[in-house]
Amino acid sequence: MRSYWIRRAIGAAAVLLLVIAANFFLFRIMPGDVVSSIVDPRFSPEAKERMREVFGLDQPLLRQFVIYVRRMLTFDFGISFLSQRPIWDELRSRVPNTIALLGSALLISSALGTWLGVQAARKRGGITEKVVLISGSISFSFPSFFVQLVLLLFLAYTLPVFPLRGSVSIPVPQGAIDRMLDYIWHLLLPAGSLVLLGFGSWAIYVRNLMVKTLGEDFILLARAKGFSESRVLWNHAFRSALPPILTIFLLALPGIVSGAVITETVFSLHGVGKYLLDSIMGHDYPAAGAAFYILGLLTIISNLAADAAYAIADPRIKVGRRAGM
Amino acid sequence: MIKIPRWSFITFFLILVIAVFAPMGLSRSPQETVAKPFAPPAWTGGDAPPPFSAVLSPSQGIVVLDWEWEAPENISIKGELVFEGYSVSKLVWTTPDGRTFTLASFQGSGKWPLDLDGRDITFKTALGIPPLANALPLLFPSRGEHRVSIEGDIPSGGSLNLTLPGGKWGLMGTDQRGRDVLALFIMGIRVSLLVGISATLLASFFGLSIGLTSGYLGGVVDSLVMRTVDVLLSIPVLPILMVIVGIWGKGLWQLVIILGLFSWMGTARTVRSLALSLRESCYVENLRSIGASPWYILYRHLLPEAMPVLLATISLGVPGAILAEAGLSFLGLSDPRVISWGRMLHEAHGFGAFTAGAWWLIIPPGIGISIICLVFLDMGRSIEEMADPRLKGSLRQ
Amino acid sequence: MIAVRNLSVTYRTAARSVQAVTDVSLDLPKGSITAIVGESGGGKSSLVYGILRLLPPQAKVSGSIIYDGTDILSAKESWLRDFRWKKAALVTQGAMNSLTPVLTVGYQIGEVLRIRLGLSRKEADKRTAELLGMTNLSPEYAKRYPHELSGGQKQRVVIAMAVACSPELLIADEPTSALDVITQAEVAATLLDMVREKGMGLLLVSHDLPLAASLCENLAVMHKGRIVETGPPEKILGSPSHPHTKELLSAFSLIGGPG
Repeated sequence: MRSYWIRRAIGAAAVLLLVIAANFFLFRIMPGDVVSSIVDPRFSPEAKERMREVFGLDQPLLRQFVIYVRRMLTFDFGISFLSQRPIWDELRSRVPNTIALLGSALLISSALGTWLGVQAARKRGGITEKVVLISGSISFSFPSFFVQLVLLLFLAYTLPVFPLRGSVSIPVPQGAIDRMLDYIWHLLLPAGSLVLLGFGSWAIYVRNLMVKTLGEDFILLARAKGFSESRVLWNHAFRSALPPILTIFLLALPGIVSGAVITETVFSLHGVGKYLLDSIMGHDYPAAGAAFYILGLLTIISNLAADAAYAIADPRIKVGRRAGM
Repeated sequence: MIKIPRWSFITFFLILVIAVFAPMGLSRSPQETVAKPFAPPAWTGGDAPPPFSAVLSPSQGIVVLDWEWEAPENISIKGELVFEGYSVSKLVWTTPDGRTFTLASFQGSGKWPLDLDGRDITFKTALGIPPLANALPLLFPSRGEHRVSIEGDIPSGGSLNLTLPGGKWGLMGTDQRGRDVLALFIMGIRVSLLVGISATLLASFFGLSIGLTSGYLGGVVDSLVMRTVDVLLSIPVLPILMVIVGIWGKGLWQLVIILGLFSWMGTARTVRSLALSLRESCYVENLRSIGASPWYILYRHLLPEAMPVLLATISLGVPGAILAEAGLSFLGLSDPRVISWGRMLHEAHGFGAFTAGAWWLIIPPGIGISIICLVFLDMGRSIEEMADPRLKGSLRQ
Repeated sequence: MIAVRNLSVTYRTAARSVQAVTDVSLDLPKGSITAIVGESGGGKSSLVYGILRLLPPQAKVSGSIIYDGTDILSAKESWLRDFRWKKAALVTQGAMNSLTPVLTVGYQIGEVLRIRLGLSRKEADKRTAELLGMTNLSPEYAKRYPHELSGGQKQRVVIAMAVACSPELLIADEPTSALDVITQAEVAATLLDMVREKGMGLLLVSHDLPLAASLCENLAVMHKGRIVETGPPEKILGSPSHPHTKELLSAFSLIGGPG
């Protein structure tokens, strides 16, 4: 058990280091002066000199990198070129929005996809299976932003059921409950579209795994024991298919984070992904780097959470072997 | 037995033909304005008039317009007429209620060049209205039969082109700049195919080399490569691509290289496991025992064995590259001069297609991307099935 | 007693259909030990899984299997669920994949006791320990997962699980064939002990004619989906009448099997 966690932690640290290194070097191989990528060119010479010291730009590259890693780990991202405010102050208000979008979309699509996948595996050739197949091929070939634009066009413009843009109404409604409802109303279409795009592929994976599992001997034996079909299905088949399902979850995670960036852009949500795009468009490099780092961090944390779930779901983890990998 | 090729191969061929030849058939640059901004497709209902054009010539001295819509955006009459000898002639507009307007008149001999535009002040002065007024409601006061005619002496040669830009346009309408969406759509196929295929080829080349090396050498190299693959696969790719494109530039070829650099991992994994299993197989063992060099084994045996799998991987990888390109273009991270489907969606999203209700800017590029992706997915699966018939009928993602 | 009458099983796939069992009739008196032997693919498994109505949906079944006046093949779902495990339980090749991999052995035995017999968790735990003890496994094995057990141990767990509800009939499908020779003998002995101790009937399915003959009171030889010979084992071994029986016998004498 311990060796598993050590390996997972090393893996997470490696990814984190890679993200930070990518940030560090990408913004330094840019054409032009290094300073201009980190320090706003409009700063006064004294301010530039001060920033040079803060970033340790006059020191050797390795030393600079160590300083950079330390600053990333303490969320000290510097000042945004565009807003002239500390970047972390700007990001802090956006992180919860991104987590709400990612979290709700992930939870609902995985729950819905899992349920549909299990049902499709139980009744081969039934309606559920057809739904799963069609929604699966939709999610594999339709670009997310296209589906979202169509939804936006028909459900926010033609039929104004949902808001066209933003995370909250302006002006913000009074009262905690109203504000909450307003927030959910703004989240429904973005998260719902991610669910719509995500549950199909999820359901197909689950179905395939369940079909394989349902053919195993222990399922035959569980049926022979006179258990109810739902006990056989969930307690034996699904429980056994859970570790590989979680593996898929892990593999799908980066793609879902990428999807969130696009979703935030389509719906103009006040999130980290939108901030990343705005910063890149405005050549606000420190802000772009910070947003990228936060997205990487969110992925790594979700990864670790899925690893933890995996360790609970699969007793074989104790011997340090990972099924399905 | 002759096998009927799958639908996807036929569709792919058709798309290829369209991508290569259709842009040649376009009569004008796709960047050119053809109608008013956000003009809906011509086949839709509504009061907006379709585009209209006609020719006035010595033999056809009168053009009758059966006008059943609201007034058009503009009117333009261009060309020249030629008169032999001294002539007096004028261009007359007749409205359904019988009023007439002299648009222009000519006295003399030789060429009579004309370039009338409904928005020109001279044109408005000729009609007798103030320079800031709109001439079109005057010329189109109601629905019914309008005429434009050459009256007086008959010209001996030349012709005049009458065009009304129309509030509707073509098969797919126009965008926010009044460009023909159909022409943009056709141009977009090229970018999708070009980026999709070349990025995947590049990625497959990387994947093949890395996978074969890793699988064949094994040991430390192998585990190092595989850990790298694991790490790269657990980072969200789109943000990286965004950052790199933002820093490095938005050019098409830069995009191809960047996409290639970040999508070799899947191929490398597949090729590696194939190389591993082949390395352990008796048949490679035998080759080695009779003294075949590693390169010979690689080129003569491993590579042909890996070919169908590789071909399938390429075909299955193209949709990913196309979607990535479209995604980046949609986010605005592409060369604004290059027309692509993602760019079209970006402009639709950013330049008010929603407030104009312009669904024709959103549906065609989106469907285009989806169809190309489905075609490549299906081709990939067909190739897989040909290589391994056991997969037939099985359900995969 | 269970009476199989004119049972036929046909598997239909898109490509072809295979008749696995043809017109088989067989009586399984209460408390008797019957063995069915035959080569693999001979329809033995289809016959015994038919008794629990566990054949896959693409199997077409005709004939009847009567238990206490009810035809198992056409009985209601609720009757069938009650019949399974309480009246007839199954011992599969435990060394393979018969135990749910993500649940502890103790949970899986206890689950049967709790769900089918309505025992409380505590009672079930106690009984699980007893059952494990009866099959010569220490009670602490309850906390283990299937992958932590050897083939023989897993087989013992499967037997413990099968006798948990004290069924009238134990159906053992190749219970020893995936084990090494010594473990085979031990597991066979355990199985026989349990059956004798509790007065259960046993239907043993095996391709190992000498082993089956040494255990059973009644022997049926199956060949290509039909029962070609039945009778007491001494008689069949002494004077086999069907060529297939002779084949099976000579195969074992050739490799010097444990007969």
